[in-house]
Amino acid sequence: MSELTMGRVVATEKRPNTAHEFHFWTAIDSPIGIGTIVRVDGDTPIAGQLPRVYGVVVEGFSNTDLQAPIHDVLGHDGTPDGASVAATQRAEIRLYTAHVLRQIPEEPLQPVPMGKVVLASDADVSVALRMDTYLQPGSHTGIPIGIYRAGAMEAPIYLDADFLLGPEAAHLNITGVSGLATKTSAVEWLLASIFAHFPGQKGSVAAICFNVKGPDLLFLDQPGTLEDADRAIYDKLQVNAAPFERVRYFAPYTAKGFTLNTLRSNEQLAHNVTPLTWGLNEVMQFAEVLLNKDDIDAKADAFIDFLQERVIGREFHETPLSTPHRVRTFGELEAFFRDLLRGMEDRSGGEHWRTHHVATIRKVRNRLSNISTRCAGLVTDEGTVSDLPFGSFQDRTVYVVDVASLEEDAQDLIFARVVSKLREHLERRDLGVSHVVVFVDELNKYAPGDGPETYVRKMLLDISERGRYLGLVLFSAQQFRSQVHRRVVGNSGTALYGRMDMDELATPGYAVLSPAIKTKLATLEKGQLMVRHPHFAQPIFVRFPRPAVLRGRDGAERFPQAGDISLDVAVMRSLRPLDASISLDWVKRTIAGHEETDVIRARNVTVQTRPERVQPFFESQFRRIVPTDAPARQAPVPIRSLPSDDPYGF
Amino acid sequence: MLAPAPGYGATFTDVRRRLAALMQGAPPVASPVPLELVSRGVQDAPTLRAAEPLEAGDMRAHAVTGARAPRFAAFLDGAQRSLVLWAGGVPVVHGTVAAVIRRRNERRMTTWRAPVLRRALYAPMSLLPRDWSEAMAATDLPVVDTLARRTPESGHPFELQEIAYQSVLADREIVEKELAETWCDDSTQHLFIDGGISGSKRVARAPVAVGVVKSHQKLYVRAEDLPLVMRLQPGERSSVVRIAESKRAPVASWYLRLRDATGYDPFWGLVRIEIAEGQGPRREAGVGERADEVSRWVLAEALPLSVPDARWDKMVYGIRDCEEYLRAIQ
Repeated sequence: MSELTMGRVVATEKRPNTAHEFHFWTAIDSPIGIGTIVRVDGDTPIAGQLPRVYGVVVEGFSNTDLQAPIHDVLGHDGTPDGASVAATQRAEIRLYTAHVLRQIPEEPLQPVPMGKVVLASDADVSVALRMDTYLQPGSHTGIPIGIYRAGAMEAPIYLDADFLLGPEAAHLNITGVSGLATKTSAVEWLLASIFAHFPGQKGSVAAICFNVKGPDLLFLDQPGTLEDADRAIYDKLQVNAAPFERVRYFAPYTAKGFTLNTLRSNEQLAHNVTPLTWGLNEVMQFAEVLLNKDDIDAKADAFIDFLQERVIGREFHETPLSTPHRVRTFGELEAFFRDLLRGMEDRSGGEHWRTHHVATIRKVRNRLSNISTRCAGLVTDEGTVSDLPFGSFQDRTVYVVDVASLEEDAQDLIFARVVSKLREHLERRDLGVSHVVVFVDELNKYAPGDGPETYVRKMLLDISERGRYLGLVLFSAQQFRSQVHRRVVGNSGTALYGRMDMDELATPGYAVLSPAIKTKLATLEKGQLMVRHPHFAQPIFVRFPRPAVLRGRDGAERFPQAGDISLDVAVMRSLRPLDASISLDWVKRTIAGHEETDVIRARNVTVQTRPERVQPFFESQFRRIVPTDAPARQAPVPIRSLPSDDPYGF
Repeated sequence: MLAPAPGYGATFTDVRRRLAALMQGAPPVASPVPLELVSRGVQDAPTLRAAEPLEAGDMRAHAVTGARAPRFAAFLDGAQRSLVLWAGGVPVVHGTVAAVIRRRNERRMTTWRAPVLRRALYAPMSLLPRDWSEAMAATDLPVVDTLARRTPESGHPFELQEIAYQSVLADREIVEKELAETWCDDSTQHLFIDGGISGSKRVARAPVAVGVVKSHQKLYVRAEDLPLVMRLQPGERSSVVRIAESKRAPVASWYLRLRDATGYDPFWGLVRIEIAEGQGPRREAGVGERADEVSRWVLAEALPLSVPDARWDKMVYGIRDCEEYLRAIQ
């Protein structure tokens, strides 16, 4: 196909071209607009080579030969309708400013020469964005992010896996206004693209998504509705237009403990939903997350360290304890404290135990005991643990941790522990996969630019600064990038921008963008993104398809949340995935007469253990209830009658 | 080493460099301002010329009524640019003449065929030093001897400069005429020509050519009819007359007021229109209707205004477009 010249480079004294910026004019009906990628063909050889310059349009101007608006007003006698009777339309110019993406040859770097301007072809786009360096056969590390569209041309745009998932650079940050589902959709699409294109020689990859609000990420395994245009993009980018094949969901129980605390509680979808419950051991390592600085002064901190090192998880017996203690659960920890404090009270004048003052001990007891209450449903008194499969993560699998309905403390605890465990396992290379993408939405809440230093923010900073060496990759999203900690967004090698709020665009972080780019960002359609990537010298606009998964809202309608249910029904639903023959009658018979907490504990242990014979195992968790004989009824003693001569009788 | 010889159409800067190289000395001294901005140009003495009436009755004002529909398919204009080099006290003028027809298609202007652009050196060859004559010949630009047909009265350098300037102007008329004749030969659509059409017999007789004259140094009206022309109201025209100058083809002509001149001088918005006169013994027949028709076409070009050009009261936008085009390519 012959190339159509779309414009010509122009430079004036007032508006000269430079090595990074140039200007060109076009016909007024040309398909060039803001974000279009163009190629300039120079006429004069440089070092024996005709220069070629690739640029992206960042600003456009239009004017006529009028010097002042008043001339046009006079020309139409002040009546705007008069324009239609003019025999000739005024000469009009379309002048564009483009930022240089790449120059060939790259040395010597010179101002952009005069020459003709053409729309960039597929091959040109590849060269302009330096994609040619990582799309070579045999060393292809391209991950499709979307298509670039100009005129009738569509070119696939690839990110470099080495710069998206490490080790060269890593992390991705996406910004955009809420309500358009662009951020979530983009991440869902990109994960599908990564799973389809991440090169085998680079290792394996899984994703952990923290669902922090609503049902957006809760139906990733269910097919959504796609339009033909979306399918065409999937075909062009060679990504299967299907929901994720392997998805596992994790959610804590509700405070009551009957059901899982998630919107994905419909019985039809229960097969891949796993409870997330932790005991004392799991929580103590991250007590710092739940205890603020007022709680943990130096003394309290020292006592907590002592508990972790000397008491928890081992046999401990020492004066004034009345009995040996082996603390494995919050319940046992409470028993330990009770025994210790009683012993100290019994010893007259004993205000210190092992240099720890009784007030410090009481304070730590109070704060730690409080955790299981604050994180009820996630943290269990009895120590039942149901966790993510650290050590056996599977390639191309999405693990969704639903924390949307949890209190902030519990969310922080989950995030801190999961990420820490990921890091530990990745350092030891025994996670099961070599790369993990961690997706966190609402980053301006978890890693704000100002406010107190929190454990979660420290962890996010740590991932963003050192995660790429481990294969721990942060995909983060937020509405206001300007409110996120600079080091978190600054370390994101790739940045995506959906439709933006003008107030946000007015913040200094966007000063490098031209007014036209800002305007385009403020009016972006759904399905469009601006992409910054280390290989791209300038931001590029792309389109991405609708994710092939069921949208959260649609999923919530199609698979309504299970309503409030009784304990016996909850137990039946929890155990049925393990043994389909379990009936409600059997459950009712089995739990009859037992305490609610015992029933929940038995269910949790059964679900965690996943025994071969579920029913006997579940039954064995209860202590036998021995019916007691009713005490013999004593014969009533007759009331003596009053003497007839009693002077006080009535 | 000599600079490369400029090809046909070398610019003023090219020629200056070439001459400097050829004469192995400092570059020739040049006047910084084009003559068009300093010269009075060719201007006839202000005169009144009585013209033979073509329309019945006395000279009077005719209101042009009816719908003003644009009918011109194209616009023709020419331009020139004259820059002076000094060979001692002798002016050598680098002249550029150009003409273009801008065609209107769906209210947008595009260039019809190729514009004409010519460059030449205009100098009194007999007064030039020999080294200059040789160097000018080596520039590959055509050299026009300005004294070939004229003898200067005093030999004052400005007189020589004015003669050269008039030669450039004459060449401009030639390229305009050539382009107009080509249109008249090849097209059946109406052409708006900036200036008169009597300079070419073929154009003056062409039914598609309409000349619109903006300058009024020479008024084709009797003294007693002058007040009538000066008081024409917007949308009014004068009676049609026949203009037959020596060495020029006869044409039918009339004055037309394009815009309200209240508060301005009497020539504000006043143009003179030339069209081919009728042929044969009944050449006056229908001339009034024809003048009304053409006047409506011209009045339809009143919008858009040709601002910021100072002559916007008389200049239609199509001609301004030609001028802008020629300014860009010169």
